[in-house]
Amino acid sequence: MTQRLGVVLLLCCFTAAPPAAAGHDNYLVTAPHPEAVEIGSDFTATCMIIDTAEVTADDLYWNVSQATVPKEQYTKINRTALNVTIRVSGEEVEWLFCLCKKVSVNVVLNQGKFMHGILLRKGYRPRRPENLSCITLQEGSLFSPVITCSWVTGPQTKVCPTKFTLFLKVINHSAHNVSTVESSASVAMSIFPNYMELEIWVEAKNTLGTVESERLKREAEYFVKTNPPANIQIISEKSFPTSLLITWSPPIDKHYVTLKFEIRFCQNGSHEWTYVPHSDTAMDIQSFRLQKLLPDSVYVTQVRCKNLKDDQGYWSTWSTNATKRTPEDRPTGKPDLWKFVDSHDVGKRLVQFICKDPVLTNGRITRFKMKIGSQEWIIPVNHSEADGRSNHRRITSLKKVHLSDKKSLVYVTAVNSVGESAPALIVIPEKGRELGPVQQLRVGVQGGQMWLQWTPPNTGTVKEYVVQWLTGDVLDWQRENRSTRHTVIKGNLEKFVCYNVSVYPIYSGGTGQAATVQAFLEQSVPLSGPNVELTSKAGHTEAELQWKEIPQNHRRGFITNYTIFYQSGDKLHSVTVPSNTTSFTLTGLSGNTRYNTWISASTIAGSTKGNNHSFTTLRYATGEIEFIMAGASLGFLFVIVMTMVLCISKKDIIKRNFWPQIPNPGESTIGNWSPDQPSKAETPKQNCLSGISVLDMDMCDGKMVFDEDKTSLSLKKDKYLSEEHSSGIGGSSCMSSPRQSVSDSDEGGDLADTTASTVQYSSVVASNGYKGQTPSSQPQSAFFSRSESTQPLLDCEENPDILVQDGSRQSQRFLRRPAEEALEPKDFCPLEEDSELTLTDEQSGDWLPTAAASSYMPQLGGYRQQ
Amino acid sequence: MNGYVKRMSFQQFMELTTTLLSLLLVMAVDSTRTVAVSGSQQCGNSVQQTLKLTRLLKKESVDLIETYKASQGEMSEDLCNLSVNNIPDPNISGLEPSERIASIYTHLQAFLTHFKRVYEQQTDLQLPSNPLLAELTNVSTRSRNLASLINSFYQSLFPNLPMPEPAGGPTTLPPPQNVFQQKVYGCAVLKTHLEFLSNVYRELRTLKSKVCRGI
Repeated sequence: MTQRLGVVLLLCCFTAAPPAAAGHDNYLVTAPHPEAVEIGSDFTATCMIIDTAEVTADDLYWNVSQATVPKEQYTKINRTALNVTIRVSGEEVEWLFCLCKKVSVNVVLNQGKFMHGILLRKGYRPRRPENLSCITLQEGSLFSPVITCSWVTGPQTKVCPTKFTLFLKVINHSAHNVSTVESSASVAMSIFPNYMELEIWVEAKNTLGTVESERLKREAEYFVKTNPPANIQIISEKSFPTSLLITWSPPIDKHYVTLKFEIRFCQNGSHEWTYVPHSDTAMDIQSFRLQKLLPDSVYVTQVRCKNLKDDQGYWSTWSTNATKRTPEDRPTGKPDLWKFVDSHDVGKRLVQFICKDPVLTNGRITRFKMKIGSQEWIIPVNHSEADGRSNHRRITSLKKVHLSDKKSLVYVTAVNSVGESAPALIVIPEKGRELGPVQQLRVGVQGGQMWLQWTPPNTGTVKEYVVQWLTGDVLDWQRENRSTRHTVIKGNLEKFVCYNVSVYPIYSGGTGQAATVQAFLEQSVPLSGPNVELTSKAGHTEAELQWKEIPQNHRRGFITNYTIFYQSGDKLHSVTVPSNTTSFTLTGLSGNTRYNTWISASTIAGSTKGNNHSFTTLRYATGEIEFIMAGASLGFLFVIVMTMVLCISKKDIIKRNFWPQIPNPGESTIGNWSPDQPSKAETPKQNCLSGISVLDMDMCDGKMVFDEDKTSLSLKKDKYLSEEHSSGIGGSSCMSSPRQSVSDSDEGGDLADTTASTVQYSSVVASNGYKGQTPSSQPQSAFFSRSESTQPLLDCEENPDILVQDGSRQSQRFLRRPAEEALEPKDFCPLEEDSELTLTDEQSGDWLPTAAASSYMPQLGGYRQQ
Repeated sequence: MNGYVKRMSFQQFMELTTTLLSLLLVMAVDSTRTVAVSGSQQCGNSVQQTLKLTRLLKKESVDLIETYKASQGEMSEDLCNLSVNNIPDPNISGLEPSERIASIYTHLQAFLTHFKRVYEQQTDLQLPSNPLLAELTNVSTRSRNLASLINSFYQSLFPNLPMPEPAGGPTTLPPPQNVFQQKVYGCAVLKTHLEFLSNVYRELRTLKSKVCRGI
């Protein structure tokens, strides 16, 4: 029955459906075609075959968004009709197509005629608007005739929007409405209907349905929100230092709405408001007196208002701040008096008294009065108003007083413009009679606060405790009652600062001894590291470093240790030393090595590196050089001594070698063959030996004579030349090779004239300068000439025994040298022996004087050769 | 012995019955009082609202007269001292509360008609920006609100009595007037209206004490 009814309905739908099928000759027709389908609901559609028997319902299928709907969701109505039921989901618009399988060519060719679709515009059924609320603001001196309402809506889609209509009905009077798609709307009336009853509701409507919100049936004042109270004024009266009178103007005439008020106030700078109880202000008032305020304190006050009826209207916003200071009053409480002993002297104690203002100064403290025994001082203070009225209790240095060793009572009062506080008392006990300190004082940090813990002293009954903390010149304290065992420092402690925290027990007889510990609120790495330097010069393998402790204000924590780093090349070494160390000797260093060193100071928070210092270790250890020098000196001395000993012990041999016995030419028999000779030979007789000696040295040592010596040599040569020059014997004996015959120069001719017989000598002149000799400017050519001398040969040439005598005579004749030089042993230079060079007379003359140290041997050798 | 027992049982039964009856009576009285209190409270609230609106209307009427005088130029004080005919009587008529409330209502309706005429006249005499026109509109609207409250109050008090029509038929307006007459007429309407409102306020206070207590 139901199925039949459905079919009938569907047929009706087809009849009423768009003429898609008929107009376009479609063989398939779908129904229904709703304006919107509800999301989340089941939608049933029917596809019907018309005007053809080529296909049946079995050939039909449904597609939603290209996806074929499963056959389980199909319902075959009859041979030409097929139903489908789908669950509507998602918010996007979709097509639901009825399609036909390709059962014949005709179907394939006319595919467009074998399909029909339903556009699924999805939407939500409108939900009941919730939380409907309306408000009317004050506009000028009246309420605005516009009422604005808002509500909470349900979801909606673009293709199926919900329209909201706000209805406002003035009971028994008029009705207004306004439509919107938003969740708020405003209704405008001619005037605000004061004291009229309003009925307000919202209707939500879309193609899927209509629903109404709850109806607000309230008096018009239920919806009003006034401006905040205006002209807030605060009156301060001197006779009421703890009170302020507030007055204000209501924002709107009370004929429109009767208001109640709310007042809140706080001290200036505070962010915590104190609310005046509603019971005191929930009435139509325009003034209120705040009481139990602090004297001489700035208060900020605000007022707001709303409809007097509790359940009607909205609170206005808070008024602007109204600020006023309460009048001054005499200080409440006592100053907090404390002391510290500056120095102890025999018979006197220098005590500095300090105090904090009373907790409630109630005005600006202008002076303190201090009294010890019969002595009284007035200590004026000139604090700014801001100081006096800040929350921080200011500390004032009162007086530094020399107290005797006896017990002293000190009274201090604080005075402001109104009056004087109660006196504070501190008892300074007799010197040396202070009672014992607290025990087991411990300090810790927790939650950014420093706490202390102690056990009470065993001596006497403690009245209270004073906890004092001191850093540098900054001192502060707080008092704790007698039962306190654990407290937190309430002052503003700074991080990374070392505090000396002391606890003083206060006895009835005076202040007890202090127990003190050091503590940091928080530790950090030191601000700077220690500056390291060498104590003295670095050694060979060790270096002593020293450094100064980091200044207290740079430590920022307890120094746990120092780490000494020293580096040479890439090698880095470190040594950790305790925190109480300020010097250290590095050992095991390499000699003659440059080291870079620095020190890190560590706290529990980390380390900070100090400055770098470089030093170089010594190449030798201390005393090593001295040892080497001493050894060398000793060795040298030993050599000298040994040489001397050798010389002494071998004196004869040396003498023989260096000073050979030279035959005296005077004693030579040849002296007899020249009768004229003695007259000429007599003159140089004294120096004959030296003259000979010089000639020999020309050949031996002339090579080593320097140019400047040649000057003196030339002078001597002149001298020699002035003395008729030497014979060819001297020249040849020194200049020429001993193996060759010696030929004298032409000058020798003169000599030859003086001699009875002339002996012909050969002379060899070297073409080149002798080794080590300064080359002559004159070109020289090697030649060999025969001496023209006619001097007869010495006997010694035939008989060596008389050679000495002959040489001696020649010396006497040509060179006037000291006799002792003539006695020097002459040795023949081996080099000369090898040389075949023979100097000319002129050359020989140049070299003659420089041959002072020459031996006589060459001449002797030369003679031998001859 | 048995007779005594029977007598005692009967006595106890009578006591119990008396107690129950007393309890029922107390409950009945209390219930009646609750209904009376509820009705009285509702009446009081309704009158209270009407009183507040009347007071507000009075205040606005005072302001309106000041504005009106300020807007009429010289001699405005003298204008307002002149008497004018064909203006509703400010006094409330009737003996019974229903009649007096109905009188208030009909007077208000009558004044609304006059207000309309005054507004039309002043629209011709004043600039559109003159606050007088706005105030006239406000007072007129407020009077209409008051009339609806009075009507509502009347119906709440006398649900079976329909609000009677005005005795003299529709409100008669003055014939066409010159400017001076218009000014005099306008001020007379406003002043009479204010006087009427004062009477209404008094009447409502009386009604509040009489009628609402009686409910």
